[in-house]
Amino acid sequence: MEDVLTENPPPSRFFQEDLNNFASPPPEPLPSPFIVFSNPKPELPLKPSLLIIALSSPSLHIFHSLPSKTLIGTLIIPELPFSGNTVEPSLQDKSCNIYSVSDNNNNNNNNNNAVLLVSVQLPVPPERSNLVSRLLVGQDIVPARVIILDSIQSRNFRGRLSPDEALAAKLETSSEKKAAATSRLSLDYFPSGSVIDGLSASLLSRCQLKNIRGTLVVSWPEFDPSVVRFLGALLKSIVPSLDIKSVDKDLEKYSSRTGLKRDAWLDSDLYT
Amino acid sequence: MLHFDSFPLFFRPALSIGNVGQLAVDLLVSSTGADRVGYLDDPYLLPCVGNDAYGPLPCGEIALPLEVYESPSTATTLAQQRSPVAKGMMIKFAENIADFAASGGKKHVIVLSSLDFQRLHHNLDMSRGPQVYYLSNAEANGRDEHCEMLGFGRLNEYDSEGRCWKYLSSVFDENCKEELTFPSEDELEDIDYYPSLPFAALFSAFKARGLKVTCLLCYCSEGDNIPDAFLLAEAASKLTGLTPDKFHGEEGGKWQIPYSWKSMYGAPPDMSMF
Repeated sequence: MEDVLTENPPPSRFFQEDLNNFASPPPEPLPSPFIVFSNPKPELPLKPSLLIIALSSPSLHIFHSLPSKTLIGTLIIPELPFSGNTVEPSLQDKSCNIYSVSDNNNNNNNNNNAVLLVSVQLPVPPERSNLVSRLLVGQDIVPARVIILDSIQSRNFRGRLSPDEALAAKLETSSEKKAAATSRLSLDYFPSGSVIDGLSASLLSRCQLKNIRGTLVVSWPEFDPSVVRFLGALLKSIVPSLDIKSVDKDLEKYSSRTGLKRDAWLDSDLYT
Repeated sequence: MLHFDSFPLFFRPALSIGNVGQLAVDLLVSSTGADRVGYLDDPYLLPCVGNDAYGPLPCGEIALPLEVYESPSTATTLAQQRSPVAKGMMIKFAENIADFAASGGKKHVIVLSSLDFQRLHHNLDMSRGPQVYYLSNAEANGRDEHCEMLGFGRLNEYDSEGRCWKYLSSVFDENCKEELTFPSEDELEDIDYYPSLPFAALFSAFKARGLKVTCLLCYCSEGDNIPDAFLLAEAASKLTGLTPDKFHGEEGGKWQIPYSWKSMYGAPPDMSMF
């Protein structure tokens, strides 16, 4: 067992290789991520009025439960295998599917002015996050507004996180802050001094750089029915036509399955 | 695109043990009241976001990984970096930053960073308090008369003919005809510690672009690095003649602790257990 008194403390933010000019770069450049659309000749870029991106377990559960969504594409990260994925989308898949949701205000059956949902069910490496976020915001898809749903990362959070106390907070782009107060999400700001990294950070940064209305909502705990209910209500307030009734139906099974869900993601490479 | 004034002085951190360079820049931004004027979108930087770091209250202004601030009252530009560079991409990143500084009309770049106390092989004279070390391109051996007069210690471990220092010089020098082998991390020895650090890449990149560059360094360990941040920030202000009383012109000024430092060491202990 390590002696906490004499062992070197862990670095506050960095590993040694982060600070090494001579760390070996990747052996050869990886192929860039790309999106495959169901429509072989899509009119790009897609310009949805709203793009909602789910990264957290509660938000992925909600997206998966939504009826009446249409799979319009999938984002491929070439180095991540999708062996073990099922033909029909499943929460156990390692995938990044893009769906269109019917919008009562949109009488045109196209993806412009529609609401698009993205279910990020694969672990995007931090060094690939910028390429993925460029595809989803500003390249193949140019949304008017973006909402990103992720979990608070305890390793980067400087406050206290209790497993019994659900909480949620937001970060917004400058464009979002300037929008009408009634259209913005009514949540406390993420506290100063803590940070969020990874794909959700890259997505929000991209929105800021592109001057797009963007909100990152982070919630805690990572697996909790109350968070599912909260996020469901939040999404309903933003997109009233969203049918979230079936989300509540599956909620009882959610908490018993979340442990299996985590393990399934970790172990799925062993069973193909 | 970033639009900014051509202030000649440019401060930026080099990531290092204890995040000391970044803390020092936090202190300088907060104390000079510098305004954020833009972001640098570098593909090699790992992503991170947060709430405004400076306050006085967390206003919800989003903070990105690499931001540029300007202080008209002190005619300085400051860049703050909040996340590391992707593994193996530091040299390309340094090149981009040097391009930014050179194209922005910067004349003197001051890089703030720290060194691991455990790597110190010579006796440290602490009789006059903590020591600030420097590395400058004013002279070929890293020496700078002004820094000497201020009592900073020259970084004696700098050897422009050393394998790794030579490699860094060659890789940023467009005119260099000598092809040197990339030093494998498996072959690095103790003496290669200094040129392996981010400050060395930035130093070499700025030097190659013809900019005057001074690295200010201090030895430290992981822990409460606020005193180290003050040490570096004070050294930077002494070097440039911008003492805190001049931060706001005729209104004077003093060191202002950034709002984000309040939670630097996490939440207070849960008193309900007592």
